[in-house]
Amino acid sequence: MKHFDDFSRPLEYISPMDKHLRTVIRKWADEEVLPFRRRFDEDWKEHKLIEPAFDKLMGNKGLGLQKALFPEELGGWGLGHSDSTFMTSYALSEEVGRADTGMAVAFLVTLWPLTTILIEPHVNWRLAKEFAPMFCNSDCAVFSALTMTEPQGGADIENIGLLGGKTLRTTARLDGDEWVINGHKLWPTNSAGVSKLFGVPCTTKLGSSDLDDFAIIFVPTDTKGVSEGNPYEKAGMAADKNSDIWFEDVRVPSWYRAHGPVLDAQTFVEVIPWGQVASCGFLTGAMLNLYERLYEFVSTRTYCNRTLKENDAVAGVIGRIAGDIDICRILGHEAARIGDRRNMPFGNELGSEETIAKIRNIKDFISDKSVEIFGRAMDVLGAYGPDREWDIEKHWRDVKIIQLWMGGKQLCQMEAARYFFNCKTL
Amino acid sequence: MSVDLDKLFIYPKHWVDEDARSFSTTIRQWADKEIISDRLNYQQNYTLLFPEKCRKLGIDIGLKRLVLSEKYDGYGWNSPSYAPAILTAFTEIGRGDASIGLANALDYAIFATITMHPNIKDDLCDALAPLYLSDKLKTSTAILPGAGINDRKTPLFRGMSVLAGIAADDNEYVVSGENLRPFGFGKASDLLCVVCAQSSGKICLAFVPADISGVKKGLPIKQTGLDASENTDISFESVRIPKEYIISRDGAVEELYVWLNLLLGGVSIGAAMNFFEILTEWAQSRTIKGGIPMKENPLCASVLATVAQEITCARLLCYSLSQIMADPLALRGIGGESIYTIARMIGSSVQDSALNALNRGMELMGSAGYAREWHVEKHWRDIKTVQSSLCGVAADIPVKMDIARFFYDCKEVCS
Ligand SMILES: Cc1cc2nc3c(=O)[nH]c(=O)nc-3n(C[C@H](O)[C@H](O)[C@H](O)COP(=O)(O)OP(=O)(O)OC[C@H]3O[C@@H](n4cnc5c(N)ncnc54)[C@H](O)[C@@H]3O)c2cc1C
Repeated sequence: MKHFDDFSRPLEYISPMDKHLRTVIRKWADEEVLPFRRRFDEDWKEHKLIEPAFDKLMGNKGLGLQKALFPEELGGWGLGHSDSTFMTSYALSEEVGRADTGMAVAFLVTLWPLTTILIEPHVNWRLAKEFAPMFCNSDCAVFSALTMTEPQGGADIENIGLLGGKTLRTTARLDGDEWVINGHKLWPTNSAGVSKLFGVPCTTKLGSSDLDDFAIIFVPTDTKGVSEGNPYEKAGMAADKNSDIWFEDVRVPSWYRAHGPVLDAQTFVEVIPWGQVASCGFLTGAMLNLYERLYEFVSTRTYCNRTLKENDAVAGVIGRIAGDIDICRILGHEAARIGDRRNMPFGNELGSEETIAKIRNIKDFISDKSVEIFGRAMDVLGAYGPDREWDIEKHWRDVKIIQLWMGGKQLCQMEAARYFFNCKTL
Repeated sequence: MSVDLDKLFIYPKHWVDEDARSFSTTIRQWADKEIISDRLNYQQNYTLLFPEKCRKLGIDIGLKRLVLSEKYDGYGWNSPSYAPAILTAFTEIGRGDASIGLANALDYAIFATITMHPNIKDDLCDALAPLYLSDKLKTSTAILPGAGINDRKTPLFRGMSVLAGIAADDNEYVVSGENLRPFGFGKASDLLCVVCAQSSGKICLAFVPADISGVKKGLPIKQTGLDASENTDISFESVRIPKEYIISRDGAVEELYVWLNLLLGGVSIGAAMNFFEILTEWAQSRTIKGGIPMKENPLCASVLATVAQEITCARLLCYSLSQIMADPLALRGIGGESIYTIARMIGSSVQDSALNALNRGMELMGSAGYAREWHVEKHWRDIKTVQSSLCGVAADIPVKMDIARFFYDCKEVCS
């Protein structure tokens, strides 16, 4: 194999923009991230090193990727009405993930709440126009967040199929032509003062599991009553800041609700595959980088005075690692393609039980494989495995949370069982 | 709710005498008071607090005295029969902090090669014991065989490269080697136990005080876990040591591995046990599916069961190893082929189990398991760091080759 690009992916799925996007992001990664990322962990609070790299990725003075989903007529790239939105998002996730999965999540989560209002057929033009200048006219990176998780648990909120949002404690009350929001959120990517805009899943009736009562309301973060805590210190993912968010009688115009009864719940269900596919991209991106670094180690270090990769037993281990990367990459692309098939005659709706279950399943599989092969690769490096200089340990710390977020592993397993075995009572 | 760990994770208590059990109870109290109830502060102030916590354990409680005979003011646990007792103590230390566990495991394992019956090396004990027991806290580290470098044929210890060389010169030995990676604590260590090769290819252990001329320490290394253990590469530029500072008897290097596998097994099990305590509290108070206690959900319960199973089995395995070590004569000594192979096999399996307990249990804790403030991620990083470091190089392949050689009498594989 000549290059990590040669890991398999179904070439007939690849979007026309793929090559160009990958080339420019790879250049960005090589220049703006890779020389600095070993110092990112110490920069978790300030983002002094990390912020300039975001500006060059997302803002107009760089690649301008934060405007990708907005329609062309509003200054965006119109990715929201492309037939390859998922595949393109996958390529973005993978390339940024190769450099740093924390940066990848912070960037892709910016697009995440916007998927509810910018992706065909659910484009909310009034909100698109309202928020386009924020993202399309900025030289610097502008972030948003999707604030699902609450102190009592994030999994139940994402488990909307079973619980219908009944555990949500963040409430929205209509007062004249304004929503009044109260509640407490935890952990959203791009919190701790990073974002300009929140997408806030909440309920219009506390304790209700009626999907009519589920709402997604957009809240500019400078609105009175919004406050955020300091960033949490974590095992990894230094480029993503997470904190508490409080909403105290926060008032926003009534039309800041994504769509309205039922459709809000539907677009929330559709948000899940976006997050899962991006997660797959982060992981396979990190795996590509694992391969690069591992290749160097096993080609320059020896066991039994033979280059590591030329020892049969070691070759068995690294062969399996590369084989797993190859399979995961094919699967990740398949997950993206399931998403892009939503508009095709043979595809399924994004919110269908089949799509949700299959994409969650692939994400669960790739996550497990990642945790396993990054750990294994560290052991191949042995005494050098925990050493930051070899980069693999950073990815090992980073990727663990990808396995745990978005409702966690067990939710993925339950969705798979429900779909594949027609379970009725789980 | 506090759980009675020893009632849950049972171990053969009759292998550990009353004195040793009460010593371990003291260590548990130390861990609870000094570390567990003060974790956040400790975590944020390692530089300041690590030496202080170590001093309380090593000097005030007397852990450092264990391995020395009464002649040197030690407690006289310098016989392999104490292996189960010492394992019990190290499990308690690991429950508190794996970094402190590693520091002491290195000390104990290194000194065991010179203080332990039947291989007591009096001249070296005379020289090093007073240093080790001085009021100022002293630490030691080991430089073990590991990855070799392309195009450089090196002497091998069971397939792993020995990058330090040693040669006799008059009444001294001269140690040399460039950028060698210690197991941990490279920066602070006062005594370096280096696996070296003589020009004949014979492998021996050299004891090098770190303040001798020619010992050069590099820049600090940032690593996954064991945050209190500041490591660095070390070079030896023609470092001269007295003749008695080397051990060249057969099996000495193997002994070092055996003790490290046992003690670090205990440390990782201890860390996993503390994780179990945190997880138990979480699973009792956290509800899912809108109100069901997590531990009452069958899928979550099965994950919880895996955690408990991994820890229990690993602990029992480790005690089996300690008991085998306790009667080494039947098996040709601790450094003999049989005990060495069993130690490597059990050591690798125990680290796998401890890490798996963490990996699986973290699945149930969502973001909390990933946040510094819950201290779960710390144990996860620490255990992983111990595991990879113990591998040396090439994942578990060197251990597998040891096993293959022992069980199948392989003559040529990777030796
Ligand atoms: C770096 C990072 C980025 C994040 N980004 C975001 C973000 O952008 N937006 C956001 O809202 N949140 C975000 N989170 C939070 C994350 O998504 C949640 O932590 C996750 O969804 C789990 O929620 P929880 O931690 O509250 O755990 P809980 O909801 O308490 O769940 C814990 C565990 O319970 C078990 N469980 C739950 N439900 C079931 C079930 N039905 N059946 C069986 N087992 C079950 C699972 O094992 C699950 O992992 C982020 C977290 C991190 C660390």
